[in-house]
Amino acid sequence: MAQDESRAEAARQSREAAAARAGIAVRPEFRSNSGYAEREKVFELKGVDVAYSGVSAVKGVSMEIGRNDVTALIGPSGCGKSTLLRCLNRMNDLIPSAEVSGQLLYHGEDLYGPGVDPVQVRKLIGMVFQKPNPFPKSIYDNVAFGPRVLGRKDDLDATVEKALRGAALWDEVKDRLDDNAFGLSGGQQQRLCIARCIAVEPDVILMDEPCSALDPISTGKIEDLMIQLKDEFSIVIVTHNMQQAARVSDRTAFLMVELDADEQNRWGRLVEYDETERIFTNPTDKRTEDYVSGKVG
Amino acid sequence: MAKAVRVYYQEELEALEASALEGLDMVSTALDRTMEAVEHQDVELAQLVVADDDRIDGRYLEVHQSLITLLATQSPVATDLRLISALLHVLKSIERMGDQCVNVCKVIPLSGNAPPADPEMVKLILTMGGHTKTLIAQAKRAFEDRNVEMARDLVRRDDVVDNLNRECFHLALAIGDDVDKREWAMTMLLAARAIERTADNAVDIGEQVAFVVTGLFREFEDASHPS
Repeated sequence: MAQDESRAEAARQSREAAAARAGIAVRPEFRSNSGYAEREKVFELKGVDVAYSGVSAVKGVSMEIGRNDVTALIGPSGCGKSTLLRCLNRMNDLIPSAEVSGQLLYHGEDLYGPGVDPVQVRKLIGMVFQKPNPFPKSIYDNVAFGPRVLGRKDDLDATVEKALRGAALWDEVKDRLDDNAFGLSGGQQQRLCIARCIAVEPDVILMDEPCSALDPISTGKIEDLMIQLKDEFSIVIVTHNMQQAARVSDRTAFLMVELDADEQNRWGRLVEYDETERIFTNPTDKRTEDYVSGKVG
Repeated sequence: MAKAVRVYYQEELEALEASALEGLDMVSTALDRTMEAVEHQDVELAQLVVADDDRIDGRYLEVHQSLITLLATQSPVATDLRLISALLHVLKSIERMGDQCVNVCKVIPLSGNAPPADPEMVKLILTMGGHTKTLIAQAKRAFEDRNVEMARDLVRRDDVVDNLNRECFHLALAIGDDVDKREWAMTMLLAARAIERTADNAVDIGEQVAFVVTGLFREFEDASHPS
């Protein structure tokens, strides 16, 4: 127990040091960890709106995302769940027309504040995409890529092994680390992308439909992996597969599409955000009920 | 407005609910016959009730299997999941009620061909049967209408049955020294007890109504911690 606590403390210090490098200071009140209301939050969204070229994609999202939780974002196509996910590591900055307004706090600090470096943010908040996107390099070089870029070249072999073990891929690839990553199966490639993501020791992993291109066995492996990874990282996952959200996540946010009166414009709105168990056994909102039970498309 | 999907699944679930609750009509019929058999000491009718219990058991197995298939193939969640869980409980209660009617019918031949030792006690048992029939109908209605108030009211009605059962006990105690009369009274007490349990099963169904509606399972009355 004491060992666990000292490990957690060491992990916290390393995270805060990384956050400091990105220009983000962690406020003490964001460190508590008892009960959900007071538990340590990674993100706090207050009335977040996202628009592309002035057209709203997501409106008025307020929610808190807890540390070491798997948080699932679910909802029909076009409800803005991927847009919202991309706000969390400032991926939308790469789209010139995108505007994010409202407040988005990361460990209590404004993620869109003037002193915050988006490149540093993305080191702390990694992302895994729908389609596995390994680099056309060897398995080893894929995982070593991030640490090399960050200048962490000491003991690279150990870093690569740790990341591959963390992504439950080590045993399958340890004898062929120099092989091209494209030789791996789809599921292995996705786990390689997760290894590449965790090799730089991020704080949060964002996953955008990470299993939609995978078969059920590979999907099962990734889901098991998510449950392992949340001991160390906080995970936010966008998924179309509601049973996946039910299986892996601690909390689930349901977003849906809203239309204006003349049905010309549509945007995403957060309908309900609660413990996953509650969302799937006894949701509060009728719209959530209809969606999770598959009664509306 | 979003259009409805999974229509077939929805229809299937509704049909299974109707089929499960029809089991309560079957129990109600079995109870009618059981009371008639008690009243007239009709051994043949009692045997018919025993034989017909296979139909109630068959309904149990059939709907139970279909619900398991629905769980396996449709991944029900939220209200649907609660409904299926509740129906599995309700089916079990229905099957138990059928068995309790059988229990009563099995003791009828034991009471012999002589006229009842105490007509008052037979009257009490028939009254219990009548109240229990009302409880069964009310449990069904409460489930169909998802009416928690109506379900909760089953407790009040069940108290009436419990009190009648206690009265039977006192009548049996007061029946005197005659061995044959005492044997008859003991046999009738077993019958009264079985009917009292049937009414309890109706209350159990009411508790499932509350679960479907609220998502919380609470016993209406906790026998081990009476208020």
